[in-house]
Amino acid sequence: MSADPYAYTFPHSDLLSVGGLNPIDLQMIFTRAEEHFARNQGEDKKLGTLKGLTQINLFFEASTRTLASFELAGKRLGADVVNFSAGNASIKKGESLADTALTLAAMKPDLLVVRHGSAGAARFFAQTTGIATVNAGDGAHEHPTQALLDSFTLIQRWGDVAGRRIAIVGDILHSRVARSNIALLNLMHAEVRVCGPATLLPGDIDQWGVSVFHDLDQALEGCDAVMTLRIQRERMSNGLLASEREYGALYGLNHQRLEHAKPDCLIMHPGPMNRNVEISSALADDPDISLILDQVESGVAVRMAILELLAQKAPSMTWQDRVNYREGDA
Amino acid sequence: MSASMLFQNALLIDPEAGTQTRGHLRVEDGFITDIGTDLIPKSEGEGVIDAQGQALAPALIDLRVNACAPGINGPEPLHITFKAAAAGGIGTLVLSPASGQGITRPEDLEWLDYQALSAPVRVLGAGYGLDGEDGLSEIGLMLRAGAAYIGDKGKAIADTRLARRIMAYASTFDAVVSLRPDDPFLASGTIAHECDMAARMGLSQRPGVGERIGAQRDAALAELTGARLLMDRITTREGLEVLKTAKQKGLDVYGSVPLTHLLFNTVDIGSFQSAYRFEPPLREEEDRLALIDAVKSGLIDFVVSDHTPMAHFDKDQPFGDAKPGTQALEALLPGLCHLVAEGYLTLAEALRAVTCCPAAMLGLDQGRLKVGAPADLVLFNPDAPALSLRQPAVSTAPSVFAGRRLAGKVIATFIEGELVAHAPTEDHA
Repeated sequence: MSADPYAYTFPHSDLLSVGGLNPIDLQMIFTRAEEHFARNQGEDKKLGTLKGLTQINLFFEASTRTLASFELAGKRLGADVVNFSAGNASIKKGESLADTALTLAAMKPDLLVVRHGSAGAARFFAQTTGIATVNAGDGAHEHPTQALLDSFTLIQRWGDVAGRRIAIVGDILHSRVARSNIALLNLMHAEVRVCGPATLLPGDIDQWGVSVFHDLDQALEGCDAVMTLRIQRERMSNGLLASEREYGALYGLNHQRLEHAKPDCLIMHPGPMNRNVEISSALADDPDISLILDQVESGVAVRMAILELLAQKAPSMTWQDRVNYREGDA
Repeated sequence: MSASMLFQNALLIDPEAGTQTRGHLRVEDGFITDIGTDLIPKSEGEGVIDAQGQALAPALIDLRVNACAPGINGPEPLHITFKAAAAGGIGTLVLSPASGQGITRPEDLEWLDYQALSAPVRVLGAGYGLDGEDGLSEIGLMLRAGAAYIGDKGKAIADTRLARRIMAYASTFDAVVSLRPDDPFLASGTIAHECDMAARMGLSQRPGVGERIGAQRDAALAELTGARLLMDRITTREGLEVLKTAKQKGLDVYGSVPLTHLLFNTVDIGSFQSAYRFEPPLREEEDRLALIDAVKSGLIDFVVSDHTPMAHFDKDQPFGDAKPGTQALEALLPGLCHLVAEGYLTLAEALRAVTCCPAAMLGLDQGRLKVGAPADLVLFNPDAPALSLRQPAVSTAPSVFAGRRLAGKVIATFIEGELVAHAPTEDHA
């Protein structure tokens, strides 16, 4: 209970997409993330703010870094963390998703972290269970914590992303990372460019607040940062791309091509990388330019901030409170 | 049943003539025998129904119902489907070839006839034109067994040569061939219409031109074979263009549209509501308005319910994993009345697409409000809110209409002059 009646409390009970966040919410997330980031450098990384709460990580798609990042974030905050992942029995036994959701909800967790191959799956869990849910990637829809950690990483370097020119390169059509980043960077007044072959760009993407490029050198002109996306191998076999070799030649980032961008341009990648396909190995490992490991480090801090903010609402609210809250929200 | 019955003070809707007039209508031995403004009850033995100014129209004919029959008891038993149709003012329904395990043999139609003996409404079946991957089914025998038309199973037939042969073979019997106009390769694996909304939501999409490509192929084959073609569930502007051209050429083609696509558009899927997952997917608002216009102008011949009952757990899934479709029998008339209430259509225009037009294609006598026609009638209040859809009266399958306020409330349905369904009496006055 806040002493100041005019204090702004984090209004969201779920993080399903970037769309619902406003600049003050972002400020709250980033301020907390900064504290956690600093603490994570030290020896005692453990906090007790989520002590007594249970966090379930429910990953229907394979993941290493996102799952580990959420697990660490929860544990460092003192929560009891349980992981269910793709190979898991109940998931494979053909139980319907609604039954899985209700079964887990009956165990009274306080936080759900959901990754699923279908767009809207995280929302489905939030609506079915009424439990605070974090979307850790739903199909090609959104991956909001990835976008938040990307922006957090850039803010740590620059202080602010407003007015910066950022290019997102690669398979925008199938990328939840791109969708969340485009929304968030627009919200924070960055100038966003997207670049890729026409087969991997949505038809109306010029309506998304981005400028669209098919030529990488042109797209890089004057850029402060470049986010390259992972290219899935299956895109080569189903007629969306010709070959890795051709993709690398047209859209692969390396030191030489980066000369078209600003001199101190930074490189990001959500991982896992295909070295020497979308990004040259030398560039990925260049500590002056590549933020790839910084992104991973930021990830834990940003996810700690999110879990904490959502948990503020979680324990005090009954299911009916949450239903009322949702209806009032809509 | 009284052999003679008089409906007094009704708003008589004649979709064929496009008129609505106040008057009386007499039914004798299951047929309409008199229509006029000065009919008075015969002295003895004639039942009188005071319609209190409510609308009286031919009972509806629904050309596409996907029942859980024949062969299996799915989430909605067949008798419930029939009962829901009666409650919705539908007098004749045609089960699609994909119903249940498929209507693929003459025996399936005979079985259906048997089931229909106890049905309150008239039931027809449509036969599937293929046997296995690449052979023709017994189209001739199925037609002889009463198949209303021959069709695909709701997905376009990819093999153009095979589509040609079905059409050519069916034309031997002057049968209508119903084909879903689509490019199966563009549609493969997609769950949404290609548009900005779906792209932002990260849903796999198919473009509207897929329907144009499919419709153009089928129209060309109709021209080649001389077959009667029903373009099954046109949902895009692109598809309408092809239908228009084909009709202008003088081809024997018809087009249908599902009710859902007259009421909803891509924006409705915006919150990943699985209820709005349909096959074909919901299209854009411009498409919806063009489809309504086409119903008004008569370019679109039929509105179908595309009733698709399923278990609730099939719908209770994230958008892309949910089964497409909705129950719709009880929403067909209210849905159309809703479009009338919004000023898009007149009652006669709306009803034409579910009465006399389908009757004409199938060569049926019902579906008309004229002397000599079978007395398949629906009495309804076009303005009363159909709030009962919050809890559908008969069908309990998942419904996109649940909780939605539509205009138009069925008061009673008559088949051959016999009352087969009526709403609770207190609330239609």
